[in-house]
Amino acid sequence: MSTLDEGPLVARLRTGTEALLSPTTETDRERRRIAALALPFVALAVFGAVVPLVVMFRISVAEEYLTATAGVQFDAWVTLLASILAFVPGVGSAVDADPVYGEVIWNSLWFGAVTTVASVALGIVIAHALEKYDLPGEGLLVTLISFPISLPGIVAAFMMIVWFGKTGLLTNVFVWLGGEASLFPAVTSNEVKLTGRPSGTTIAVFGLFLGYLYSMVPRATFLLRGAYAEVNTDAEAAARALGATPWQTFRYVTLPQIRPGIVGAVILTFRTALAIFGTVLVLKALSVVTFRFDQILKVGYDLPTASALAGLFFFFTVGFTFLSLRFTSAEVTG
Amino acid sequence: MTDAPDRPADAETGTDLPAGPADSDAETDPRTDGGLPAMDGAVPTRDPGAFSQLATALGRPLVVGTVLVTVVFLILPVLATFAASFAHEWAGVLPTFVRDGEFLTLVNWRQALGLTQTDLGAQRGLGGFWTVFGVPIPVTIGFSMLLALGGVVINLLVGVPIAYAVTRYDFYGRGWLNTFAVLPVVPGIILGVAFLKTYSDLPSAVGLMIGYSLLKAPYMVLAVQSSFESMDLRQLEESARSLGASWPRTFLTVVVPNAKTGIVAGAIVCWTLAAAEFNFSYIVYSSGPKPFSLFLFENISNNPFLQAAAAISVYFAIVVVVTALLQAVGQRGFALGGVR
Repeated sequence: MSTLDEGPLVARLRTGTEALLSPTTETDRERRRIAALALPFVALAVFGAVVPLVVMFRISVAEEYLTATAGVQFDAWVTLLASILAFVPGVGSAVDADPVYGEVIWNSLWFGAVTTVASVALGIVIAHALEKYDLPGEGLLVTLISFPISLPGIVAAFMMIVWFGKTGLLTNVFVWLGGEASLFPAVTSNEVKLTGRPSGTTIAVFGLFLGYLYSMVPRATFLLRGAYAEVNTDAEAAARALGATPWQTFRYVTLPQIRPGIVGAVILTFRTALAIFGTVLVLKALSVVTFRFDQILKVGYDLPTASALAGLFFFFTVGFTFLSLRFTSAEVTG
Repeated sequence: MTDAPDRPADAETGTDLPAGPADSDAETDPRTDGGLPAMDGAVPTRDPGAFSQLATALGRPLVVGTVLVTVVFLILPVLATFAASFAHEWAGVLPTFVRDGEFLTLVNWRQALGLTQTDLGAQRGLGGFWTVFGVPIPVTIGFSMLLALGGVVINLLVGVPIAYAVTRYDFYGRGWLNTFAVLPVVPGIILGVAFLKTYSDLPSAVGLMIGYSLLKAPYMVLAVQSSFESMDLRQLEESARSLGASWPRTFLTVVVPNAKTGIVAGAIVCWTLAAAEFNFSYIVYSSGPKPFSLFLFENISNNPFLQAAAAISVYFAIVVVVTALLQAVGQRGFALGGVR
């Protein structure tokens, strides 16, 4: 192809590259600076995320993957999608497939939603108290509440064992209360032992719920603190001066102002909930998607299925995040 | 101050009911005196209803109580774990701290860190020892600290420039770049599955370091960004340039040193979180010295309770030191500008 045949796009790219490499105007120089500043990040994103993800998608449709990746087949995706269809009520009975993946995806979604709602609700209460009340030792409170952010999920699970395990703090309290002169005859120590229960039972799932909250409440709180910091306190003072009760002030003045922050916190906390893995691995209370990866890889090393499930998870998270940030009033404040 | 305003309840509108259809008509009509029509949307009724009065009386104690219960829920098990790691056993309501006249014991710590001569299993699990200035450091712990440090170095090289670019300059695609830089787009476990085949030829350590830097980059970018946002970057850059400094020199010797608070805070937080990263490490690790989080996981799932408590307390100790360091640079705990 001669240079004369160059399309307008190629020509633009060529002049663009030239301007970037040997800029003549100040605007070009600024562009070069921005490119230079962004380059390390883009390089890390390409080598650390884009390349591995492309390889992952390739493996999910590969016939041969153990030594070299070769061939194309969609078995893993077909299995996965059939399984999801088989789980859908109504349609499910017509599909001849094991609904296990549909079930784990459903578990991840409903459990993530429930824990997100609880965490954000608690986060609003805590952020409100930290911002609006003159609590003694507020600095210490902030440090203490932020502490669990540094703990990995497995440690959060261990904290639940410390609370509710066989010799857990709360279990022991009930043993003590329920001794000779039982104060709560109806509540025996056995009923507060939430960990180490068979997977899927209500009581085990409740233990896992608290384990999720342990990780998610501090995150939600600090996301909401960002929203609270931007609240117009003059409007609140005016409402109070005009006779609104504290609840009315919160309901009609504060809440409308922090609503975008709440939506943002819900989106980010839900993402966190979906990605929790260590807590489930230790407590083994509910089969969620992340827990399924462990089973797929540890039993049989079925990489195509794991890759397909991971691909679906990735598409869902990215799609969910960007669509919800785009189409809601969400405000992600720092 | 928290009492309901003392206003005589109007006989007809004293209830807390929303405005009826007849009222809403009046609301949408333009006012006869030429003023603006009434606001749309829910407008509170004048007088607080029963719920509002109850909320006034109980609201604050309830909110403060919720905060206290949450703090106890979050922190008490941490303290209990740390205390129990020095106990002889924990069978009753409280751990046994005194036995045969001996108050507290270090045996759990010794076992967890493989310092007892007889416990070969634990020593193998820790991958032996490095001796630094005569102090034995389990390879697992020392190696993880170095890996996390490697991740932080990559984070510094990547995070500081990108934070400057999106804060200082306005360009096409800036919003997207910012979103990608501050949101962990790929969850750790997905990244782990993706790394399995892609970098299977590299040693586990290299893969882990790249993964750590990618997963923790948002924390660095957020910390540095908050430092940059408190500075007048344009003025700073233009002053330095007008005094004759080249742009790279301006960036390296004027802009970066001014953001050192954010950079230090970001580095500390990234290091700590990388040192205990579990989800990604669990999937990716195959050979070589074991990451610290896997050492914790083995203790939690296989070892006696008190030994696991001691192993976790090692990490608690690290976090406490790090929190103190963060306070020293003016950052309160891990509440890094709304962590994601």
